[in-house]
Amino acid sequence: MKILLIEDDREAASYLIQALDEAGHVTHHAADGETGYAMASGMDYDVLIVDRMLPRRDGLSIIESLRAEQDKTPVLILSALGEVDDRVTGLRSGGDDYLTKPYAFTELLARIEVLARRSSPGEAATSFKVGDLSLDRLSRKVERDGETILLQPREFRLLEYLMKHAGKVVTRTMLLENVWDYHFDPQTNVIDVHMSRLRSKIDRGHSTPLLQTIRGAGYMIRD
Amino acid sequence: MTRIPFRIGQLWRTTTVRLTASFILIFVVFSVLLLAFITFQSSIVIQRQQAADIDREVARLQRIDKQQGVRAVAMAVGKLAQAPGPGIYYLGDAAGQMVVGNVSDFPVSVFRADGIYNFSYQRQRPYDPDATDDTTPFPSGVAVVRSVVLQNGMRLIVGRDVVERRGFTAIIFQGFFYGVLGILGLSIVAGALTARRVLRRIDAINATSTMIMAGNLAKRVPVTKRKDEFDGLAINLNAMLDRIEQLMQGLKDVTDNVAHDLKTPLTRLRNKAEAALRDTSGEAEKREALETTISESDKLIRTFNALLMIARAEAGAPSGALTDVDISAVVADMAELYAPVAEDAEMTLETNVVEGIRLRANRELIGQAVVNLVENAMKYWEPAGSAAPGKIAVSVRRFGGRILIEVADNGPGIPADERENVVQRFVRLEKSRTEPGSGLGLSLVAAVAHLHRGIFRIEDNVPGVRAIIDLPAA
Repeated sequence: MKILLIEDDREAASYLIQALDEAGHVTHHAADGETGYAMASGMDYDVLIVDRMLPRRDGLSIIESLRAEQDKTPVLILSALGEVDDRVTGLRSGGDDYLTKPYAFTELLARIEVLARRSSPGEAATSFKVGDLSLDRLSRKVERDGETILLQPREFRLLEYLMKHAGKVVTRTMLLENVWDYHFDPQTNVIDVHMSRLRSKIDRGHSTPLLQTIRGAGYMIRD
Repeated sequence: MTRIPFRIGQLWRTTTVRLTASFILIFVVFSVLLLAFITFQSSIVIQRQQAADIDREVARLQRIDKQQGVRAVAMAVGKLAQAPGPGIYYLGDAAGQMVVGNVSDFPVSVFRADGIYNFSYQRQRPYDPDATDDTTPFPSGVAVVRSVVLQNGMRLIVGRDVVERRGFTAIIFQGFFYGVLGILGLSIVAGALTARRVLRRIDAINATSTMIMAGNLAKRVPVTKRKDEFDGLAINLNAMLDRIEQLMQGLKDVTDNVAHDLKTPLTRLRNKAEAALRDTSGEAEKREALETTISESDKLIRTFNALLMIARAEAGAPSGALTDVDISAVVADMAELYAPVAEDAEMTLETNVVEGIRLRANRELIGQAVVNLVENAMKYWEPAGSAAPGKIAVSVRRFGGRILIEVADNGPGIPADERENVVQRFVRLEKSRTEPGSGLGLSLVAAVAHLHRGIFRIEDNVPGVRAIIDLPAA
């Protein structure tokens, strides 16, 4: 993936660039708002990572300008402001996701990989298939190897989200945000408990487990 | 002496003085208008009265003329003419020669035809035996007269000196002038006194604010027993100062707590990193040290976030943060989220949610508060010590004008004398010191309740804890 990182903290930026490079992504860097905006509108990127508070030009105003120019490149906002309101204003300005500093790199990586436009099967898809597991969004039916699996509504949404991003890591906070629509940080392993229930429903009795736990990061579904 | 103009200048700048001045101005203008009206009206009345007097005298003299003849008229006119006052009398023959009277220099027209005339005239100086100066001209007057011809052709003129009438107006004006002058003087004095009083009270408030700005936050604006608007202001200011002081104290508590509860783990973190660096042990141990470092710092960040959230919630939310929230749905969501967790911990989580309870609220914070209560209930349940199976009951209901969100458990409970304490920041019961967690859970719940103008309280569930977020419904 080709990523543009607009971040004024050089140390944080060089760490991120190196880590993204190790994950196999090409990252360009802009250290201030104006340069970042010029680069973002001049070149085609898969994902933009924009710090909210930047010298010379505010991160949100960059996103607003890009959106006004019909530039739909996915944007992940990085911010030290973590209040609910800050998140709402960030997303309202046209950002696609919001990550509060400090963050784990695995969290950031998982989020940009899910954001990247080339990779997703798309919101419009009516059914997903991973190996012998299939999910139909319209009839809300889940089958594995021809056998119908009965899921609770929340379990269905969990699986739907995982399958929509099949082959990619989704973190616990991403699940809480997208499946439950809450943004706080639970102290207990609440997501893990739900995942283990889901796993027992879809993987039990099958030789190849589809739902995998990625240590230190989150979950992934793939065959 | 140089202070006086300054004081006057300062006085002039005060609202009271300006108000007084404009009131005086308005008052004077209205007085002048009123007086002009009265003067005009009364001069008309006087004029009418004089005209009536003249007509009556003329009629009377004509009657005397008819009944008693011209001699009697001449005697009557002579008598009238000698009486002091504004009267003007003249009796003359057809040729214009005065027989008797006190004024003779009428305009010619008066002798020609009957009627009423207005003119100015030279009054005759009355005879004064003691007078030494006969050369100074006697002041001229303005007269209104009625001229008639008597039966034998003699001309009778009766009139009044109008100057007398004008004198009356002058007296009114004079009285008015001194009156206005007096009012002006009194108003200025009264205005100055009021302004001084007002200034003194405002000065007291200013002095207090100066002291507070200088750092003496305990200072308060004096309140008198008068219960006037200044007392109202002072009471409000004091309430505001109390709130500010409380917030400052809160901030100080936060910094103290940050210092304590963040520095301790930071030190631990640093020690661990140093130990790993010094260590000659293998790659695996170093890696483990680093992983501990990350998870420790995550915990620190969590504590820090909780602190910030509490501080912000306690300071009162920006109004934009509150939206119309389905409280029932939020609580049901949280119960659903935690039901499997409770089940894994061999507890049951019951929900009793009345549908459709809505409130202007911060959805995330309400959710977080419910989660904290549920996590708390699970954390302190003691499987070994309890005979009954662990049970958590989450409910939402209306109670009068309140919305009650309750999380009840059957765990060990909290001793009555410590219930107030646990709501305080960082306070953890002695027994639970060893448990993981920041100790901020319940204080966050309290802050969230406070943010929604409600209260958080803990009751005995016999056995266990009944934690209640009690919010006003509107």
